[in-house]
Amino acid sequence: MSVEAVKAPIAPVVVQAGDAEIRRLGLRLTLPAQLLLAFIVLFPLVMELYISFTDWTPLVGKNWVWAYRYWNDFDNYVEVLTNARLWGSIVRTFVVMIVCVPTELLLGLGIALLFTGDFFGKRFFYSILLMPMMVVPAVAGYMFFMLFQSGGPVNAILSALTGSQVAIAWLSHANLALAAVMIADIWQWTPLMFLILLAGLLGVPEDQLQMATLLGAGRWARLRHIVLPRISRILVIAVAIRTIEIFKIFDTLYIMTSGGPGDSTETISVYIYKVTMQDLEWSYVATIALFILVVLSAVAIPAIKRFGAAR
Amino acid sequence: MATISLQRLSKHFGTFSALHELDLQVRDQEFMALLGPSGCGKSTTMNLVAGGIDASAGKILFDGRDVTDVAMGRRGVGFVFQNYAIFTHMSVRDNLSFGLRMRRLHRTEVDRRVSAMADLLQLGPLLDQRASGLSVNILQRIAIGRSAIVEPAIFLLDEPLSNVDAAFRAIMRTELKSLQRQFKQTMIYVTHDQLEAMTMADRIAVMDGGVLQQVGTPLEVYNEPRNVFVAGFIGSPGMNLLEGRLYEEGGAIGVDLGVIGRQRLTEGKQAAAARRAGLADVLLGFRPEDITVDAGNPGALKMAVSFVERIGHRVVVHLDAGAQQVKMVARNGFAATLGAALPLHPQADRMRLFDKASGLAIGVE
Repeated sequence: MSVEAVKAPIAPVVVQAGDAEIRRLGLRLTLPAQLLLAFIVLFPLVMELYISFTDWTPLVGKNWVWAYRYWNDFDNYVEVLTNARLWGSIVRTFVVMIVCVPTELLLGLGIALLFTGDFFGKRFFYSILLMPMMVVPAVAGYMFFMLFQSGGPVNAILSALTGSQVAIAWLSHANLALAAVMIADIWQWTPLMFLILLAGLLGVPEDQLQMATLLGAGRWARLRHIVLPRISRILVIAVAIRTIEIFKIFDTLYIMTSGGPGDSTETISVYIYKVTMQDLEWSYVATIALFILVVLSAVAIPAIKRFGAAR
Repeated sequence: MATISLQRLSKHFGTFSALHELDLQVRDQEFMALLGPSGCGKSTTMNLVAGGIDASAGKILFDGRDVTDVAMGRRGVGFVFQNYAIFTHMSVRDNLSFGLRMRRLHRTEVDRRVSAMADLLQLGPLLDQRASGLSVNILQRIAIGRSAIVEPAIFLLDEPLSNVDAAFRAIMRTELKSLQRQFKQTMIYVTHDQLEAMTMADRIAVMDGGVLQQVGTPLEVYNEPRNVFVAGFIGSPGMNLLEGRLYEEGGAIGVDLGVIGRQRLTEGKQAAAARRAGLADVLLGFRPEDITVDAGNPGALKMAVSFVERIGHRVVVHLDAGAQQVKMVARNGFAATLGAALPLHPQADRMRLFDKASGLAIGVE
């Protein structure tokens, strides 16, 4: 999707200011790759931009090249800014992000901290913990679809715990469906956080922790003053990966709820998918894609620049 | 005020015994060096005192108070690691103030003590610099200051000079000693370098194979080694040890060294003890520095020069006869021809006798 495209304008910046000659050589050496990149990135981008000013859809029976015949100025842009369903899906995506990323981070960090020590069955639990990550998201989606059926295991467990018959229609309830989707995401992706953070934690020098203890630091002080500062970069990377991934959340969610009931679990990806495949409003979709690209670039470029400068 | 008392302290790792029933008393404000080759148990002892590892058996007492089961963070000992373990993600100031901040001291007090410590260690201009990428001798001063700033009564140093270059090591030896006097701390200093132990320590505990060999002042360990190990380990090169048999002739006692010759012993504690024990097989010990070469004097030990090591201010002459070797330290100008036999006279009052079977010194308590 558009997110990858953000990287393209950044690429030439990597060339550090230096001799003019070296720059020219660098340009020549990277030219084939740059041309390829330009074709992959620029061509669709220009095409998108062109279509976004028209009312063209594949239903009109003409090639997109003739889209100018359906020119409609800024109608699509007005639609993007005012469409309630689109904005609802954007807000929902951010809700999922705000709930899932911190939850996965804290759970992952907590479990990773446990795994820096020794306990019985550590290797066994390690394998078990990594399992969810290996499951194909579509399969995970189907799994949770079954789990959250009104006659499914989740309700059965709740019935057993409460002692009375529980028959919650999880996936057909507007708020519970979104919660179910978030639980599935947390189940599947906490292990990734765990894995990344564990790698970071194992890199924290043991002697520094011991020194801190000798100087009177307790468990929390060690975490705050030694461990967290030392893994801060890895922490940022882990959060960035999950934030980007959740922004694109689709497969698990689509299989569980297809964005329903109504549009109560519709995220940006699901919304775009529906408008593209069901409504076939391609020029409108092109406008949404451009809009997201601009917004994401505005956020991502300064972030990448700052992160690059921090090295 | 802090004394350290180790009582029958042992540590096993699986079947390996790293430390065996160590008994050691460290006095208040004493500078005690733990000296021994790698794997002798000195670092294990240090970690036991700090609380980094748990003892398998025995007790550790600070000022008569049993701290064997007290957690590392609560023992209140200062510790300087061999690699310093500087918090490289912090500034020099944050490194120094870490212990004070952990004790939740007031900001003004923290600042006062940090600047006092920085003045003492000449770290003032570096205070707000990041602690990464500084040179080894600065890192070392930070490490010492960081532990000393909380004013622990007991200070442990684990080979703190092994990473610094020779010139700076000499400076740091004097500096460390004067710091210890200023801090008035009880210090345990682990090293494999006898020069450091000799120059800085009030007393030295020589260890080998997890067993304490001897405790004493630097001169005691040098002059009166309790056993063969201490004799060979202390000194550079170590004490010469020649195998021989005791004999008595006309009331005088001596050692028969076979092809090398016979060495008469002066009467004294050693001769008396040897006579009492009725020993036959002994080792005759004398320092490489305590040998004179004199052809005019009868009764010399005859050995041939096998190798000559010139180390600048002195010459180390290697000699052998049969299967036995001796090293002699001579002045720079000493002329030695390979293969030439030299008449050796160990200084009479500097000779030591060891029981060959047990390796223990004869006539030394």
